[in-house]
Amino acid sequence: MPPLEQALARLLGPQRVFCTRDALLAWECDGFTVHRSRPRAVVLPESTEEVQAVVKILHAAKVPFVPRGAGTCLSGGPTAAGNAVIIDLARMRKVLEISTEDLRAVVQPGVVNLNLTAAVHHLGLHYAPDPSSQSVCTIGGNFAENSGGPHCFKYGMTQDHVLGAVIVLPDGTLARLGDAAGPRAPHGLDLTALFCGSEGTFAIATEITVRLCRDQESVRTLLGAFATMTAACRTVSDIVAAGLVPAALEILDQSTIRAVEASVYRAGYPEDAAAVLLVELDGPAAVLAEETAEVREAFRRNAALSIEEASDDAERKRLWKGRKGAFGAMGRLNTDLYVLDGVVPRTRLEEALEGIAAIGTKHGVVLTNVFHAGDGNLHPNISFDGRDAEQTARTVAAGREILQLCVDLGGSISGEHGIGSEKLDHIAMMFGADDLDVMARVRAAFNPDGLCNPGKVLPQRGACAEVAKWPQMVARVLDVEERS
Amino acid sequence: MSTTLRPRTAAELGELLRGRPGRVRLCGTGSQQDRLPDANGATTLSLAGLDRIVRLDAPDQTCSIEPGVPREVLDVALQEVGLELPCAGRGSLGGLFASDAVGPVSVGGASPRSLLLGMQAVLSDGTAFRSGARVVKSVAGFDVHKLLVGSQGRLFAATVLHLKLRPRPRAEAWFARAGLDRDGALSLFRQLRDLTVPPAALHLHRFATDFTLAGRIVGRPSFVTAIVRQHALPEAPAFDRLHLQATDGGEVLTGIVAPSRLPALLAAIAADAPFLLHGGGRFEVALPSPTATDALLAFLPKLPVQACIALGAPTRRGRGTPLDAGQERLAKGLKQALDPHGVFV
Repeated sequence: MPPLEQALARLLGPQRVFCTRDALLAWECDGFTVHRSRPRAVVLPESTEEVQAVVKILHAAKVPFVPRGAGTCLSGGPTAAGNAVIIDLARMRKVLEISTEDLRAVVQPGVVNLNLTAAVHHLGLHYAPDPSSQSVCTIGGNFAENSGGPHCFKYGMTQDHVLGAVIVLPDGTLARLGDAAGPRAPHGLDLTALFCGSEGTFAIATEITVRLCRDQESVRTLLGAFATMTAACRTVSDIVAAGLVPAALEILDQSTIRAVEASVYRAGYPEDAAAVLLVELDGPAAVLAEETAEVREAFRRNAALSIEEASDDAERKRLWKGRKGAFGAMGRLNTDLYVLDGVVPRTRLEEALEGIAAIGTKHGVVLTNVFHAGDGNLHPNISFDGRDAEQTARTVAAGREILQLCVDLGGSISGEHGIGSEKLDHIAMMFGADDLDVMARVRAAFNPDGLCNPGKVLPQRGACAEVAKWPQMVARVLDVEERS
Repeated sequence: MSTTLRPRTAAELGELLRGRPGRVRLCGTGSQQDRLPDANGATTLSLAGLDRIVRLDAPDQTCSIEPGVPREVLDVALQEVGLELPCAGRGSLGGLFASDAVGPVSVGGASPRSLLLGMQAVLSDGTAFRSGARVVKSVAGFDVHKLLVGSQGRLFAATVLHLKLRPRPRAEAWFARAGLDRDGALSLFRQLRDLTVPPAALHLHRFATDFTLAGRIVGRPSFVTAIVRQHALPEAPAFDRLHLQATDGGEVLTGIVAPSRLPALLAAIAADAPFLLHGGGRFEVALPSPTATDALLAFLPKLPVQACIALGAPTRRGRGTPLDAGQERLAKGLKQALDPHGVFV
């Protein structure tokens, strides 16, 4: 074992340091399987003090490191670049404090998102951000990525629910951001908001204070089936234009419906529909009766083929099962799945979906769509065989064009998955050299030596080999298509 | 007397800054200037001339505005299309976001931080840059725009703000329950705050000896009526006193308090000191002298509560409870990174 790994093993014990080739296989990628890179080692600290001690050793040795939660990220954020050591925070899974009066909880970063809600459920509380991976993803990962989820149309993203954090800076020193009362002192900057979504490139959060929400008195869940995607999108526009703020507005296209219905996530969605729209309303029961009537009217106005409403919690879970399991269901379509994450103004959803279909046809890729319609946050999914280089390259090329389309329509290249290594080459679609320079300066205020999660978010000279190969591969495919 | 520069466009602003005007104090309509530390004769750079509503996309519930747009002008434009900017504050919108002097007015409610989607801005050397996006959801790049909120114009000058809007509620009712003692006020405050749909605004204040709890219930007409009846809330004009004034020789302290620490905070404040608390936790207390302020500032870390001097002698404004050392170091690093020559004061 090399001296650095020996020092880490002395600190944590050999059972919490992995450095053999086979053992490291589990950490070679996250949910973005296109980009794989085995770390130099993996360590499993269990406390802020242990994270500090690990970081001090790595800082002294000038060895880069990558904080990681459950590895469910979809943009390569927690994949090690440049022979980095992964600091896996999954064993820091304690809920440290719950305050019903202040409606907050203090958690370690490895607490699984859904477990936090389970821990406060008996108090009539929940943690609102609910990424599709909430049964496995961690609060630390959500904080790093500023994760969203179906219910962020009404409740906001992770950033809106984090009040503060204790962070270990890349030199091993501590900083406390925010406070139990709020994310910013009156004479301080909002470093909590800045840190949220920094994708592990600033520092490592080891304690996170989050806001808890009161459970609503009542929930109504409806599913409308439509003959066209246009009708489903227009229903969303009608609901929003009426001034309603549903908890969730989710659309699945026909390909997704069929994949779901053929899988273990079967939810009874009508397979002949071009799209289904899942609407969830929450609030006082009397209010929901009126709002549900308005949603039904919007469904009818747009010629819904069928309207189904959950009559109890079991039916509600069934209607959500298909949506929550959609990505898993796509595992039936091919060996790999490239989940895209573009955003367009909600009013341009139809245009975007038409463009996405055309891009799919042009590149000959299998595309499905499941998305947060209320936020205009699209998730075009390309099913492909990652063992086939040419197919992979076509997938990547199609993905790039789709994200460019989102930007051209006034949107963003990521609504909730982050840039990671996946979109290093795409960020210039949204930001110019001066914009990226300002971001680099901000990152340097936290991470001056670039040791914390290098090669992510901002393109940089001398990036790791895999990242450098990435745009070249896309360029090659585009060049071939151009010539043909 | 200090000079005032008044650019009309972002390009003019960049040009002025590239001309190295020395130290600069950014200013909107000036409504928050008496709450900023001493400018020490710095040139005033008024952004009031950047006053265009660049884009108002009602169906998408977003808009883009220049920082000099007065709050009331945007409110009128939004009312016409059935929308609102659901946060409190007056003056120019750039000033409102840069000062963030009120925070959310309800539990978990919207605040400048949650409504700012992105921005265009200019660094002190005149370099223009962008951050965030104009859509309601984007995690592309670092959220440098969130540093605007509460920065008091000391990091960069925003030239366009992209904002998230919400539909105007179908009904609203303002109420005020006056003549409450401390325990009664805290009890009612807690009762309303703990509703599953809490009031859109809650303001607890003590301008004389008694407490008053004011607030705004919004929603569907049936819901608003039911809440008002259920809690016997007396109808009142809209509450618009968002800040306290300092008495002669006195000061105003502003801070943020968690609900569990509110009783201890009130116990630490003299019973006749004017006090104002907004539902999201920001509070103000008027104190009779700098000595009284210093005594309270020395005590607050024990609760712990963070606060600083908002109104008082220019040289004392901004002084506050100690911030975490690591946080201070990062704040200094960010100032050095974005405004290395200390142009913005």
